[in-house]
Amino acid sequence: MRRFSSYRVAAIAGVAASAMLLTACGSDSNSTTTPGTSGSAGSSSSGAAGGSGLKIGLAYDIGGRGDKSFNDSAALGLDNAKKKYNLPDSDVKELEAAQGEAEADKEARLTQLADNGFTTIIAVGFAYADAVKAVVAKYPNVKFAIIDDNSVQAPNLADLTFAEEQGSYLVGVIAALKSTKHSVGFIGGVNVALIQKFQAGFDAGAKAADPSVKLTDKYLTQPPDFGGFNDPTKGETAANGIYDAGADVIFAAAGGSGSGVFKAAKAKGALAIGTDSDQYQSAADDVKDVVISSMLKRVDVAVEKFIDSVKDGSFKAGNTVFDLKAGGVDFATSGGKIDDIKAKVDDFKSKIIDGTITVPTK
Amino acid sequence: MSTATATVTGPDAAPRRRGSRLSPPLLIAFALGAFLVLSAVRAFTGGNDLTSSGTIAAGLSAAVPIGLAGLGGLWSERAGVVNIGLEGMMILGTWGCAYLGWDHGAWAGLLFGTLLGALGGLVHAVATVTFGVDHIISGVAINIIAPGLALYLTKVTFVHYPGGGQKQSPPIGDAGSITLPFSDWLHTVEDKHWFAVSDLAGVLGGLVTRLSLVTLLAALVVLASAWILWRTAFGLRLRSCGEAPHAAESLGVNVYKYKYIAVIVSGALAGLGGAALAIAAHQFRDGQTGGRGFIGLAALIFGNWRPGALAAGAGLFGYTDAIQLRSSSAVHPLLLLMAIALALVAIWQWRTGQRAIAVVAVVIAVLAVLWYIDTDRVPDELVGTTPYVVTILVLALASQRLRMPKADGRVYRRGEET
Repeated sequence: MRRFSSYRVAAIAGVAASAMLLTACGSDSNSTTTPGTSGSAGSSSSGAAGGSGLKIGLAYDIGGRGDKSFNDSAALGLDNAKKKYNLPDSDVKELEAAQGEAEADKEARLTQLADNGFTTIIAVGFAYADAVKAVVAKYPNVKFAIIDDNSVQAPNLADLTFAEEQGSYLVGVIAALKSTKHSVGFIGGVNVALIQKFQAGFDAGAKAADPSVKLTDKYLTQPPDFGGFNDPTKGETAANGIYDAGADVIFAAAGGSGSGVFKAAKAKGALAIGTDSDQYQSAADDVKDVVISSMLKRVDVAVEKFIDSVKDGSFKAGNTVFDLKAGGVDFATSGGKIDDIKAKVDDFKSKIIDGTITVPTK
Repeated sequence: MSTATATVTGPDAAPRRRGSRLSPPLLIAFALGAFLVLSAVRAFTGGNDLTSSGTIAAGLSAAVPIGLAGLGGLWSERAGVVNIGLEGMMILGTWGCAYLGWDHGAWAGLLFGTLLGALGGLVHAVATVTFGVDHIISGVAINIIAPGLALYLTKVTFVHYPGGGQKQSPPIGDAGSITLPFSDWLHTVEDKHWFAVSDLAGVLGGLVTRLSLVTLLAALVVLASAWILWRTAFGLRLRSCGEAPHAAESLGVNVYKYKYIAVIVSGALAGLGGAALAIAAHQFRDGQTGGRGFIGLAALIFGNWRPGALAAGAGLFGYTDAIQLRSSSAVHPLLLLMAIALALVAIWQWRTGQRAIAVVAVVIAVLAVLWYIDTDRVPDELVGTTPYVVTILVLALASQRLRMPKADGRVYRRGEET
């Protein structure tokens, strides 16, 4: 018995040590990311570049380029800007976050970018809030932007946020109109304020389109466990539960876990709605037809506009909200599954834009 | 099974006998009783998801990666090598599965994932058996190296393929599943919500509807492991290396060889678990194992280093995780179920003289009942902890007689008995 407990102590120590070391290791394993392949369009003419004065550093959230969602959207904005200003690869640097990394790793990533001479730095994701706060004052000549956060204010920091509730409201309308059982579900990746905003908009939109609709919600993990954005099997299990309980449309605001929701929808003969990017385009071929729409969060628009503002000197510190009006959020129509109700949804959209409808954020 | 064990673990037979193991009829009676309690709670609370076929199916598929990782730990630790590197070997398995799986099909992926896991096991074996590195340190090293390696390989291999990315693979195809012909009928019965009958239909329906062939394979691997380790001369020798390696050595067993085999099989099983996870998720994603290797290790301890109980532990974890994911409201009736189970534990512990534990169990049971009566649902923030809470309660209150292999975790050197 005594040796058994010493074994347990050793095991626990090992687990703890591994967790700490894993995070430590995570940061440097990611520090060598080269700009992705989709930037090749810009680099083909990169010989003629230079003199633009832009040196852009981008720090991704967990998932990085290739997450088929949030980060990819930021990458698209970067690629567009790169093409527009003819930037050579050496003037753009992208770094990724690792699963379960420490706060210090995020800080180190931003510091590394600033120290390497990148003067336009974009932190993708609210997870960077504390890191930005710690770093922003040390580099007054660097223009920072943080996506999805408005908690830090500085003269050289732009807080770029989105009116996710407005886009979610519209897909809520779509879900309710497409539900034959008058029951729709919401799956959030992690139970944080940002994702709750999605749910608030979605619920309001569904209720507006069909007052009798039944709403069900589920968050895959609770902070500080952010694995809910990255676990398709959890998404699938939760979606099956909600479909079994009678819903026939689910809005998946769960990052990479969304593919599990689509898989469940396919197996149940039900429907699903994606998030951030147009997931009809990126979903696996065999589940494409269940993705009737996506809540588009145009991180690419925000990133590109921010780079524009640095370039032309119109940089504005503080909060900028990218809403429906500004083209920061929208709904996707690819696949043609919502052509029959598009007019109704557009009607709601114009009412939100002209202020007739105010969408709740909580 | 029990007789075979007694012959091997001679020196430990005395303390073992005190914890009289459950005989098969008693085990069946116990399972039946647990099932009836579950049905009663389901019928009383209306928490139909407790025994729905969807929950059982989801629980089963959640249990597979955990159980396989735990089984990997069983092989290794039965030969005396602690394998805390299961998580890392699992990650190698997920990546390996995606590498061949996305264009050659799931089964090719499964094979390659298993192979990569075995490679991870080989590294652990070389470090611990040949070089005598502390088992924990070697395992931790593997847990650090594996995710980095998988991430690097992902960037090298998957980025240019459709659906692939810096941190994910292209989609992996399906491994196939079977649905027995009477499953529709079971679903009809299940939907009636009759006491016990519908519950049974739900459980059976969950087992025979779209049952993944990978799950079936996992069940066979558990049975095969139990048979090999407890019913063959090979298994006897392997376990003797975990109990008394120097005694085994004096009888002519090549301890190094058995330890090597055990640790490599251990890695292969963890890799298989990872591959099963990747197939269930239809792709490799960085960080997708989410600590399942460690939970597998917990299932191993939970199962007292035995395959059947280990599988039960993995199943319990998978089941509670499936319930909390499928419907937050179904966790509320679980409180009542927990209270009843704890009350039974309290009675049993009181009778065996463990009065302090009995009192603790009763106190927690009363609190659970009060909580149940006083609320309509468990707060979302706590729902996700359900599987962990249940596991801790079982470990702390019901399994007091755990016994690990006697020489587990010790570095063995031929001819150097201390």
